[in-house]
Amino acid sequence: MSVQAITSQEKKALKTEPMQLVLLVTFLIASLYAVLQGTFFRQAQMEAITSFTAAQEESIGAWRDRLIAVENGTTAPTEDRWAGLAMDVTFPATISPGPLSDLAHGVSDVKPAASRVSLWRSVDRLFGNYQFQSPIDTAAGAFDLAFVIIFIMPLLMIALSYDALSEDRELGRLGLLLSQPISIRQLVAARLKVRFGAVAVIVLIACLVGLIAGSAGQDIGARLPFMGIWLLVAAAYFALWAALIAWAISLNLKGETTALLLAGIWIVNGLVGPASLSAAAEGLYPTPSRLAFLSEAREASAAAYKSQADIMQGMLLDHPDLTAENYSIPEYIRTAFLVNKTVDDSVVPILAKFDAVQAERRSFLSKLQFAAPSVLTLQAFNLAAGTDLERHIAFEKSVRDYKQSVAEAVEGNVIVGERLSLAQYDALPRFYHQGPTVSGALGSIFIPVLFLLALSTLLGTIAHANLGNLQNRIREN
Amino acid sequence: MIKAIIWKELLQYRRDGRILAVLLITLALGFAATLNSWSTVETQQRERQAAVASDRATWDNQGKKNPHSAAHFSRYAFQPTSSLSVFDPGLKDYMGSAIWLEAHYRDPATLRSVEDAVEIQRFARLTPAWILQVFAPLLAILLAFAGIAAERERGTLRQIMSSGVPPQHLFVGKAIAALCIVGLLAPSVIAAVALAANTHDEVGLPGTGGRLAGIVLSYILYIGAFTFAAIGISARVAKSKTALVVLVGFWAASVVFVPRLASDVGSALSPAPSAADFQARMSDDASGAFWGGSEEAQQRRADVEANVLKQYGVDKIEDLPINYDGYLLQESEEFANGVFDRYYDELWGTYEAQSDIVRLFSIVSPTLALSNISSALAGSDLFAHRHFADSAELFRRDFVKLLNEEMIQKGGQDGYGYMADNDFWQTNPDFTYTPPPLGAVMSNIWVDILVLLGWTFAALLLAFRGVRFSFKQEAVA
Repeated sequence: MSVQAITSQEKKALKTEPMQLVLLVTFLIASLYAVLQGTFFRQAQMEAITSFTAAQEESIGAWRDRLIAVENGTTAPTEDRWAGLAMDVTFPATISPGPLSDLAHGVSDVKPAASRVSLWRSVDRLFGNYQFQSPIDTAAGAFDLAFVIIFIMPLLMIALSYDALSEDRELGRLGLLLSQPISIRQLVAARLKVRFGAVAVIVLIACLVGLIAGSAGQDIGARLPFMGIWLLVAAAYFALWAALIAWAISLNLKGETTALLLAGIWIVNGLVGPASLSAAAEGLYPTPSRLAFLSEAREASAAAYKSQADIMQGMLLDHPDLTAENYSIPEYIRTAFLVNKTVDDSVVPILAKFDAVQAERRSFLSKLQFAAPSVLTLQAFNLAAGTDLERHIAFEKSVRDYKQSVAEAVEGNVIVGERLSLAQYDALPRFYHQGPTVSGALGSIFIPVLFLLALSTLLGTIAHANLGNLQNRIREN
Repeated sequence: MIKAIIWKELLQYRRDGRILAVLLITLALGFAATLNSWSTVETQQRERQAAVASDRATWDNQGKKNPHSAAHFSRYAFQPTSSLSVFDPGLKDYMGSAIWLEAHYRDPATLRSVEDAVEIQRFARLTPAWILQVFAPLLAILLAFAGIAAERERGTLRQIMSSGVPPQHLFVGKAIAALCIVGLLAPSVIAAVALAANTHDEVGLPGTGGRLAGIVLSYILYIGAFTFAAIGISARVAKSKTALVVLVGFWAASVVFVPRLASDVGSALSPAPSAADFQARMSDDASGAFWGGSEEAQQRRADVEANVLKQYGVDKIEDLPINYDGYLLQESEEFANGVFDRYYDELWGTYEAQSDIVRLFSIVSPTLALSNISSALAGSDLFAHRHFADSAELFRRDFVKLLNEEMIQKGGQDGYGYMADNDFWQTNPDFTYTPPPLGAVMSNIWVDILVLLGWTFAALLLAFRGVRFSFKQEAVA
C-alpha cells in the first residue's frame, strides 16, 4: 500500500464514515454560526456608535446654531442668555470597533465604547449608564470564531486522529501495513494530513466568510491585513495542536490512553491553565477597591461643594483676570464646574493607580501566558482584532484627558460667566483615538506566534524521531 | 455480591495512577478555588461595609444644602455579597454592585468586577462550583467509561454472568464504587462551606441551611447523572475506547460549548437594548416629557399647577403655603416612576427571556440546569440581582420623596433657594436590604430542578437497561 493509496483511503473515509462526517459537519456549522453571530455583533457595535455620534452631533449642532444666531444678531443676547454657554459644550468620544471585532469580541462587549464628554460630569462619571448588557450573555462569553478555534478545533483534531496509529496496532494489522513500501512516518503523516487538512479547510472557509460578511458596507481592504495577521495566529495554534497530536501518537500508547492524554492536555490548556493564571494574576495584583474609589470621589465632591467659596477665592487669586463677572449666568453653573474640577483633580491620581495595577497585571500575564497556549492565542487574537484590554483602557484614559483639555480651554468663560465665541468653540479640540495599526498588531503578535511555531517544531521533531525509533523497533522484532 | 463488586472496583481504581492523579489534581484545584473565592468574597464584603459607612458619613456631613441638590448627589445602594458566594459566585462579577439612587433617573448597577478582570477570566473562573461542575463529571467519566466495555473486552463479563451476578447488582456495585471516589472531592466543598461561615456577611440569606442542602443535593444528582450515563454508554458500545470518546465529547459539549452557544442564541433571539439608545429613550420619556419644551410637557406642568392651586384654593403660586418648586419636582418623580417601571420591566423581560432560552438548552446540557440551581441557591443569580435592584429602586423613590417633602413643607416661597440644615440629613434613613426567601427562589428554579432530575433519571435508565442489554448480548454471543 502506497502513500497515495493511504491518502485516498483517508479521503474516502472522511466522506463515508458517519462519525467523522458528523464531527466535521458539526464543526463547519459551529464555525459558520460563530462567524454570522460575529457579523451581527459587529454591525450592532457600528450602528450603536453611529447613532450615538449622530445624536450628540445633533445636540451640539443645535447649541452651535443658537450661538450663531446670537453672533449674527438674529437673536438678541438678552433673549437667549444660555446661547454659547461654555458649561454646555459636549462632544462625543467613541472607540471604533476593532477591525476584526466580529471574529474575536475580546473585551469589547463589556467595556464602554462611547462617552458624552460634558463639563457637567466629573471624570469618574464620564462612562455612566452603559451597563445594560445581559449578565447572562457576558458571563457565558462569546461564541465567536476565536472561541471555536481555541476550544473546538483542537478537540475535533483529537477526536479525528488520536487512533491514527493505535487502531492498526490494536487490530493487529500494523505489521501488514508496514510490509508495504511505506514507513510509519509516511503512514501517520498521510493520515494526519488528510484529517487535519479537512479541519484547516473548514477554518479557512469560516475566515473567508467572516472577512466578507463582516466587511458589509466597509472597505474590505482595510480589514485584509488584519485578517492576514489573524490567520497567522490561527495557523500557529493549529500547527501546535497538529504537532502535539503527532507527538502523542508517536508515544505508541493504547488508543484509549492517547485520547486521555490529549484530552488532559486540552483541559489544562483551555480550562485549568487560564483559570489558574487568572486567579494568580488577580491574587498577586489585586485591583484597588472600586467601592473605595467611589467613596473617595463622593467625599471629594461633597467637600468641594461645602468649600466652593474658598475654591473660588483660590481660583481668583491664581487667575486675577477672571474677576469680571456676568451675573446673568446662575451661580450654580460655576459651582458645578468648580466642584467637578476639584473632583477631577482628586480622582485622577486614583484612576492612574487603577491603570498602573492593571498594567502590572497585564505585564505579569504577558510573561506567564507562555504557560498556556490558549491564553497566548486568545491575547494574540484580540490584539489582531483590536478588541484587547490595552486598547480599551487607553481609550478610557484618553477620554478622561480629553475632558480635562476641554475644561481647561473653557475654564475662563465658565468662571467669568462669559459665553463662548464661535471662533473659540470651533478651535476647541475634538476627540480622536488612534485605531489599531497593522504594524502595531504585527509587532504584538510576533513573539507569541514565534513561540507557538517553535513549540510546534520541537514537538514535531520529537514525534518524527519517536516514529523513526518505533519503525526500527518493529523491524527488529 | 454488590459489596464484592464495590471492593473489586475500588481496588482497581487504587491501582490506576491516572485516576489518582486526576483526583488529586481536582482536589488541589478545589482547595485553591475555595481559598481564592473566599478571599474575593471577604474582600467584597469588607469593601461594602466600608462603602456603606462612608456613604452615610458623607451624607450626614453635607452641611447646609438645598434638598434637591442633595437628591442629585443622593446615596448609593450597595449589593451585599452572600456567604454562599464563596461556593458559587454565579453572575456576581457580571452585574454591578452599586446603584446610584439619584433624583430623576433610575440608574443601572455599576462597578462590575468583570471590567477590572483580565481577558482570560472569561475562559474560566476558579471557584468551587466551577471545579465541581467541570471536573467532577470528568472524574466520573474517567471512573466509569470502561466499567462494562472493558469487562467485555477482557472476557470477564462472561465470568461475572456465570457466577450468577444479576445485571442490577453489577450496575449498583460499579455506580457506588465510582460515586465513592467522586465523593472524595467532598473535602473541598466542606472547606468552602466552612470558610463561607467565616465571612462577614451582614445581610444573611434567608434559609441558608435549606439552600446549602439544595446545593449539595443538586450536585449529587448532577454527578450521579454523569456516572450513570458513563456506565450506560460503556454497556452499549463495543469498545471502551469508543465509550471514552463519546463521553468526553458529551462532557465537552455539555460543559464548555453548549453554555456559550445557549447564551449566544438567547441574546440573538432576545437582544438587550443598546445602552445609548435605551438611556436616551428612557431619559426623553421620563424627563423630557415633563420638563421639556414640547406642548405635551408644557401642558403636563400646567395641569400640575392648576391642580395644586385648586387643591389649596388659591389663584397664584405665590399664595401657596408650600414650596411649589419642590411640589413640581415630586410630581415629575411620580410621572417618571411609571416610565422607569415600563423601561426596566422591558429590560428585565429581555434578560429573563434569554434566561428561558438558555434553560431550554439544559435539555442537552445538565450543566446549565445545575448552574442555574447552584447560583440561585447561592443568591448570586439574575433573580437575586433583580430583587436587589428593585428594592433599591423602591428605596430611591421613597428617599427622593422624603427630600422633596422637606423642600415642599419647609421651603415656603424660597424655591430652590431653600437650604436644609445639616441635622436633617442625619435623620434620613439608610437602605436596608432583605434577600428573597427560599420559597421565592425555589419557585424560580423548579424547572431546572425537574430537568436535572430528568437527566439523572434518564441516565439511570440508560445505565440499567444498558447493563441488562450487555448481559443479553454476551449471552447470545
